[in-house]
Amino acid sequence: MKRVVFLCVCCLGAIRGWADAHGPAFGYSTTTLGSGDSSIETVAMWRGGVAMIGPRFSYGVTENLQFSISAPFDVNHGEHPVGRFTGMMPGEPQAEALVAWRFHHALTGIGTRNESTLYMGVSGTTQTLPRLDGPPLSREPAYYVAAATGHISRSYYIWAGAGYQHYGHWGDSEDHQSDSLLTSAVVGWRPQFFYKDYPRPDVRFFWETTGERTGLAHRGGSASTAPVTGGGHDQSAAIEASPRDANDYVVLPNSGGAGIFSGPTFLCTYRNIAFQGGVMFPVWSQLNGTQPAEGFRSFIGVSYFFLKGRK
Amino acid sequence: MTLSWRRTFRGIVLCGLFLAVEPGRAEYRRIQLKVYGLDCELCARGVSASIHRMAGVRSVEVSLRTGVLRIELIPGNTFKMSDLRNRIRENGFRPMEATVTAVGRFNGSKFEVLGTGESYDVAVPEAKGVDEPELTFEIRQ
Repeated sequence: MKRVVFLCVCCLGAIRGWADAHGPAFGYSTTTLGSGDSSIETVAMWRGGVAMIGPRFSYGVTENLQFSISAPFDVNHGEHPVGRFTGMMPGEPQAEALVAWRFHHALTGIGTRNESTLYMGVSGTTQTLPRLDGPPLSREPAYYVAAATGHISRSYYIWAGAGYQHYGHWGDSEDHQSDSLLTSAVVGWRPQFFYKDYPRPDVRFFWETTGERTGLAHRGGSASTAPVTGGGHDQSAAIEASPRDANDYVVLPNSGGAGIFSGPTFLCTYRNIAFQGGVMFPVWSQLNGTQPAEGFRSFIGVSYFFLKGRK
Repeated sequence: MTLSWRRTFRGIVLCGLFLAVEPGRAEYRRIQLKVYGLDCELCARGVSASIHRMAGVRSVEVSLRTGVLRIELIPGNTFKMSDLRNRIRENGFRPMEATVTAVGRFNGSKFEVLGTGESYDVAVPEAKGVDEPELTFEIRQ
């Protein structure tokens, strides 16, 4: 049933196109929908051999306050990289409610503005992720807070932002997922050829760089001694040798790390539809353990904006 | 008796027509409003759709190059500049100076766009003798 619902959302996204995708693909941006506007978006994401589909719905409560719900899910299973995939969407199968508040909004000229946006979200897991070093970790809800600031003009864009996702302890589980920090810097450019007046296709190119740090995961209770099965490499020796935290939970050695990714992305809007995509490659990577590194991550999405609800 | 009813009916109809037409003689006809912050096609589309839904609007054109909205209004409208400026702000943008074509009356040094409660300092001395002139003038932010 869950799959049917997801497929319906995806099909709807493909047919009706999307929403607040007038920013970069991976990094943080400041844009929000107009008052009463809404959008649906469907993205396909690849990272570390795992493919995900990410549907999202956004609604502009006011011109400076936006509410979004996204629920990315795995299409295929693999050694799942953790940490957020984009500033606006989790990188693991989760349903996330996100509020964006554009608290600073200075309109300085024709086509020009400086603005800053604060994001706050909460998410709950929707799919269990298999691990090579033991049974899946039980997954808890996560909190998310982020901020972005930027300069927007007809010719170029600059955004910078950072966010932190923390997994709480709401249930009886003693497992703890890896917290993650994501930072981003984005520069964008609209070629002179697309300096056309509305209604014409509007194309922008971005160069996005993200930096991330993901913490170590912890396994608690009897699960820490569960037999290690599956996967391409036996890591039971590593688990037995791994340190334990203050609660005597096993610190999973092959979890988390840090990395910097960089690459080109694009955004094309025409009428109520936007297409967006891009690819990023690792510039620097330092994993905590021997888990497979991400060779690249890519993103392609389509969005449709519903502007009729606007005042 | 029958004749008297006919006269009364004719009088009511004429009064109604007079009342219906008279307020339409003072109104905004065309507005060119400069707007700050419009950077993309989607923003322009959203603002255009939003203003098009305002009562009395016949057409809206948005230029991203100049940041100017050109609005044509239906005769007999009750459109107000203050409502337009509020609508632009609600869309997340900043209304600036405007060039307006309107029909109104002079009340002292002020040019009143009747039925809107909005009046402006307009320096067109030759129009002061005219009963309800149509003027094009600029409004500062």
